[in-house]
Amino acid sequence: MKKYILLIIFITLSLTGCAGYKELNELSIVTAVGFDKKDDNYELSFLIANSPKEGTSSKEGEAKTTVYVGKGKTIAEASKEVEQIIPKQIYLGHINVVIISEDISKEGFLNIADWLLRNPETRKKFYLLQAKDTSAKNILKIVSPLESFPSQSIATLIESNAESKSIATSVTYSNFISQILEKGYDPVLPSVSIKGNVKKGSNEKNLETTEPESYLVLGPLAIFKQDKLKGFSTEKESSMINIIKNDAKEINYNVKYQNEDISIESSKLKSKIEIKDEKNVTIKISGLGDIYHINNKIDIQNYKEINKIEKAWSKQLKNDLLKVIKKIQTEYKADIFGFGNQIYKNNPKKWEKLEKNWNNQYFPHLNIKIETSLKINQTGSLVKTIKEDKS
Amino acid sequence: MEKIEKNAKKVLEKTKKLYGNSPDVNTRIINIKGTNVGIIFLESSSQASTISDFIIKGTLYSSSNNNLFQNIFDNLKNNLFNSQLFTINDYKQFPYFLSSGFTIIVTDNSDEAIVMETRANLDRGVTESTSEPILRGSKDSFTESHSKNLGLIRKRIKDSNLWFDEIKLGRKTQTRISIAYINGITDKQKLNQIKNRLNKIDIDGILDSGNLRDYLIENKSIFPQIHSTERPDVVSQALLEGKIVIFVENCPFTLILPTVFIDYLHTSEDEYQKSSNITFTRVLRIIALIITVFTPAIYIAITTYDQNTIPDKLLISLAIQREGVPFPTSFEIILLTAIFEILRESDIRSPNSMSAAMSIVGALVLGQAAVDAGIVSPITVIVVAFTSICSLIFTDIDFMNGIRTWRFIFILAASLLGIIGILSFTIIWLIKLASLENLQTSFLSPFAPFNKKAQNDAIYRAPETKQIERPNYISNLNPHRQRRSQ
Repeated sequence: MKKYILLIIFITLSLTGCAGYKELNELSIVTAVGFDKKDDNYELSFLIANSPKEGTSSKEGEAKTTVYVGKGKTIAEASKEVEQIIPKQIYLGHINVVIISEDISKEGFLNIADWLLRNPETRKKFYLLQAKDTSAKNILKIVSPLESFPSQSIATLIESNAESKSIATSVTYSNFISQILEKGYDPVLPSVSIKGNVKKGSNEKNLETTEPESYLVLGPLAIFKQDKLKGFSTEKESSMINIIKNDAKEINYNVKYQNEDISIESSKLKSKIEIKDEKNVTIKISGLGDIYHINNKIDIQNYKEINKIEKAWSKQLKNDLLKVIKKIQTEYKADIFGFGNQIYKNNPKKWEKLEKNWNNQYFPHLNIKIETSLKINQTGSLVKTIKEDKS
Repeated sequence: MEKIEKNAKKVLEKTKKLYGNSPDVNTRIINIKGTNVGIIFLESSSQASTISDFIIKGTLYSSSNNNLFQNIFDNLKNNLFNSQLFTINDYKQFPYFLSSGFTIIVTDNSDEAIVMETRANLDRGVTESTSEPILRGSKDSFTESHSKNLGLIRKRIKDSNLWFDEIKLGRKTQTRISIAYINGITDKQKLNQIKNRLNKIDIDGILDSGNLRDYLIENKSIFPQIHSTERPDVVSQALLEGKIVIFVENCPFTLILPTVFIDYLHTSEDEYQKSSNITFTRVLRIIALIITVFTPAIYIAITTYDQNTIPDKLLISLAIQREGVPFPTSFEIILLTAIFEILRESDIRSPNSMSAAMSIVGALVLGQAAVDAGIVSPITVIVVAFTSICSLIFTDIDFMNGIRTWRFIFILAASLLGIIGILSFTIIWLIKLASLENLQTSFLSPFAPFNKKAQNDAIYRAPETKQIERPNYISNLNPHRQRRSQ
């Protein structure tokens, strides 16, 4: 009896085993995916990270990246075509970055979202980017001298940018989808474009020159209305949007004071959106800033001067913010700040009545009030400017 | 019981015949005023100078002493110089005493025989322990001499309550086996159980304490449930904790009962070093234990089933390394692990002069050439090397081998079922460990069943001043080992 039980256990183990068994060297590890559309066909580009470099033996562990493109009427068809080209099994578990072209975004992102979300292999935490002025395929091809493979260079670019410049924000796929699905919310995406020559940039020789022929630039935010691309903001507008959305971690702002620019870097700007009813919105901005650069003769040890600078900063920032909001209200009619979402959260019943006409009727005519409490914290390690000292 | 004849000549003839006329059986007859005095000893196990100095001289001296001459037997008994001298009246005991290096004296006028110790020194001296080296602590270790071994313990524990119960085992070998314990601390029930188990043994020979092991356990397991050591200080510590120690004649390794799992993670040094540092060392040992059991299995599971869990850059680097390797990952791991085990085994067996050559071959063949030839990937070599290094932390060879078996089980489970296999076999492993019990002591004590009092010397080691009580899962008698300090 015992023998039979052992036999049954052995058989069941060996039968159930090996499901999902994959050897690493039989996989093509996809680290970035690009979606394009040409005519009626989808173009799916896979960036494969583990093609071994020619001429190096395996133990040196150097990798080369390759881009494979497939076409098809549907995404699934396109991916089947890529599978036919690549001799190894395609592995989507390590996708870092997904880039979508303008054509697809304008048509509606949800057309392709299903394929990525349905695949059990994919993580849902990869970065989503909007290609600007070029195709997604081309962006994947650019090799960067600082990172060993393109998808990684894009990912680090986003991460460092979100930390230090606050023009682009990092938007993961799951964030983006949930923002589309949430009520009274329109999403934004960081955009990426190429500076320089695409053909030269995609050559490995791009790595050998001291000044790369072409490189990737993180551009301003792309503004979506639901899943459709409406347009791109400028860089300045992007940082203003990020301030309101509370995504700005470090932001550099130039204040005009006595006809000269004072550059103020603030690392902890906080915004709070308060909505009383469907017509009035108050945005409270608070935070500290450090003076980074002064050119004119100001006695920054005098607190009265500092107060004046603070006032100017508040006033100008307020103006800029209002301008951006106005533009979005009238031009795009996309509620990327989530005002509607606030109403929905506070009063779901009221939202039901507003929902239909929110983007066209209520949102564009919202009365926005901005309250600021900004303080200058540090003036840096110089008391006077250098110019002043010399004279 | 066989009577001794009152004829010295006949007894000597009989004894010679008993040993098949072996040349090392020496006899001598001294005639003292008409009475024959026979002397028998084995040349191979006795010291000839002792015999001539004390026995022959003593016998001749008593023969010249006319005044005292009454009964030659009593005379000899009272006048021979020796600390170990007694009489026997059973002929069957002759071989045991003769082989142990005693000299037997028989006379014509008595049916008793005088037995006198004239043992030759066949033992090596007390040397440094080779199997359990330590940095801090006493360096001596047990030898093959039974009395020396017991002496090394007596030297450390001078209380008269240190008791030795002796039994003889082995029909042919007649091996002396001493059960050492401290009266008043040790649980008598456990002692009796051990004695019962030993008394049931009827075998031709016991040559080493390892022969007794299987008779002393209750449940079968790959893991040894009896700790074996050659260090007198470890034995003394065990005795003071209320454990029972078995000494086997001619074997430098003693058995300590009952043993629990955590004992294999302790060393005698733990008691002598600073307690806070020891806690850290013990945590390291536990980490090493986990690493050595699980690392190859987890490597197989995550690289062949759950690639999702590997960070991006590492995954790509691993994939590139594996490029061109012809075997599946699990085969690679099994191959390398097996090669390492063979290397270890051959290293133990080979004479010292060869081990240098062996390590060069091992390092080059395993580490360098196999990778260069593209048979294994570099990361596999790293994984196996890491695993093997961690396994060398444990001194007990049986424990190491038990771990090795389970490592292979986990490797197989991981290659068939991935992480799920590892998890399910971990559960089976824990169940097996927790179900082991010997002498009313669970193998996973003091963790399962959890014993809060005993935690001060399990993984965490409390300062010496705080260790008031003996571990109560071993014995409940006389629980306090020191007076609480003020």
